[in-house]
Amino acid sequence: MADIVKDEILAQEETDKAIAKEAELQAAGGKAEDDKAHPVVLETRGVTIQFGGLTAVDHASIKVRKGLITALIGPNGAGKTTLFNAVSGVYIPTSGEVLLNGEHLEGKRGFQINEAGISRTYQVINLFRSMTVLENVMVGMHTRLKSNFWSDLFNSKKKREEDAEAREKAFEWLKFVGLDEYANSPAGSLSYGKQRLLEIVRGLASDPQVILLDEPAAGMNSTEKLELDALLKQILNMGYTILIVEHDMKLIMNISDYIYVLYHGALLAEGTPEEIQANPDVIAAYLGGEDDVI
Amino acid sequence: MKTNSKKKILPLIIGAVILLALPFVAQMITGNDYWVLILCTMLIYVIAVSGLDILFGYSGQISLGHASFYVIAAYTTGLLNNYFNIPLFITIPCGAILAALLGAALAYPASRLKFHFLSLATVAFGEITYYFLYTSPGGFTNDYKGINIRSIPFLEGSYTKWYFWLLLWAIIFVVAKIFIVNSRTGRAFIAIRENTHAADGMGVNVQKYKILAFAISAFYVGFAGTMYAHLYKYISPETARQKQSVLFLTMMLFGGSGSIVGSMIGVVIIEILLELIRPLQEYQMLLYGILLLIVIIALPGGIVGGVRDVMADRAKRKLQKEGEGGAQNG
Repeated sequence: MADIVKDEILAQEETDKAIAKEAELQAAGGKAEDDKAHPVVLETRGVTIQFGGLTAVDHASIKVRKGLITALIGPNGAGKTTLFNAVSGVYIPTSGEVLLNGEHLEGKRGFQINEAGISRTYQVINLFRSMTVLENVMVGMHTRLKSNFWSDLFNSKKKREEDAEAREKAFEWLKFVGLDEYANSPAGSLSYGKQRLLEIVRGLASDPQVILLDEPAAGMNSTEKLELDALLKQILNMGYTILIVEHDMKLIMNISDYIYVLYHGALLAEGTPEEIQANPDVIAAYLGGEDDVI
Repeated sequence: MKTNSKKKILPLIIGAVILLALPFVAQMITGNDYWVLILCTMLIYVIAVSGLDILFGYSGQISLGHASFYVIAAYTTGLLNNYFNIPLFITIPCGAILAALLGAALAYPASRLKFHFLSLATVAFGEITYYFLYTSPGGFTNDYKGINIRSIPFLEGSYTKWYFWLLLWAIIFVVAKIFIVNSRTGRAFIAIRENTHAADGMGVNVQKYKILAFAISAFYVGFAGTMYAHLYKYISPETARQKQSVLFLTMMLFGGSGSIVGSMIGVVIIEILLELIRPLQEYQMLLYGILLLIVIIALPGGIVGGVRDVMADRAKRKLQKEGEGGAQNG
């Protein structure tokens, strides 16, 4: 009896060792391994955005890898949201390329980019306030539903089936973030933190290849931030890829796999959270006259 | 489930009985056909105002020139029938479809305009229609005199027959509206109304849906216009003026925009009011003005919105009371 238990413990130790070894290999493996496990999904190449004479983003090249959280940080006015807007089609880059799985996105309109597989949330909450919480998520599914004007007009069986299915799926999404009890309330009646969560699931409802989160923690209290932290990890585990802009350094350093630092529109540094925290340029940029502290 | 459907069916049956009996009751009380004609007009307006509501109430775009579509469709069916003897079952859809196409054509550039500029563009469209019909090339629209139009043969001479014919169409158009607004298309409309920027970000082709809303809306109003022309057997450019567009708008806002029943309530109440002040016809515009002011200041959601607010308030109070009661018990 005791022998069996001993054997089991030994076996357990052995698998533990194997896992640790694998992790070690992965850490040391470098780029080649990274490319295989986490290929680049979204990439900007030398994106420049000018407003008149002002260069808001200057030759920014970033790579977003599948299944990882990539963060974009920088002091206020560094051009983070502008770069986001260029990727999601709000602005057309003055020059440079935006690629999603090798497909060119620059110059496409917002709805086309959503259809291609990039979804987003907004820095200032942009919900459909008088629509119900559930309907907000269903609008998020817009590009994934097939019914058209004629099937809608005649309320065809196919349309009704698809609608019922979408409703169920939207409800599942609400359950996922714990908003199911508010499904039929107007979105505008939710608390601030809950509205942020709704924006995230509305973005996820289109099943995007990459979801862009623009300061999701803004205005959240510390409990909500902890919940957000856990939620983002859960979303990652579901196989989604995240590109995030955020001011909350604790959150960013905790969740990010890779960080890009923008400063006055240009890329200042990139690397893992540890590398960024130790980078003297980054520290100087943040302490040099800005309120944000790492 | 069973009791639920029973509860829904009973008011439906009562409503159907009332709608079926209405023209006969009106005839019995007044002893003539006049109020049946008014009921017919109401049904036509229900179609038109429901259409305007799809545009304004659901997709958030304004039009102060919708009477144009009404009149253009009316002239189309009338002129095609008068000049070429084309049967009405062809000319009526032609009129409505032409209205929809013009609506789409107007929306194509107009969809990029902001709300107040869009309203100006639609006012201009209304004026253009009026002056075109008033002094048409070669006078093919009979200019300011307007044109006489034939009635629909199997309805001729009986307003009661007209009433049931229009009731059928009003139901079809209202049901179609219910289907449209409760679908992917309808959600796209509402999303655009609520937040155009976010709608674009969520994959809604804003321009396409704005044009679609305009076309659907113009089709509704156009169909109503053809019915109006054949019922009254006459149409003149006067109907394309601001007064008619503002009437539709007043009915929609008074009843409550973005609502199925709102359009109907607005039509019924305002049409009755108009009949009551018929002796003071010059003051019609004044009445619209006063009604619009009342709605804008005191009832921003129209009658339906007001009722909704009161009910929500009550539900809230009830919840609070229950909450207090629960707290005391605990």
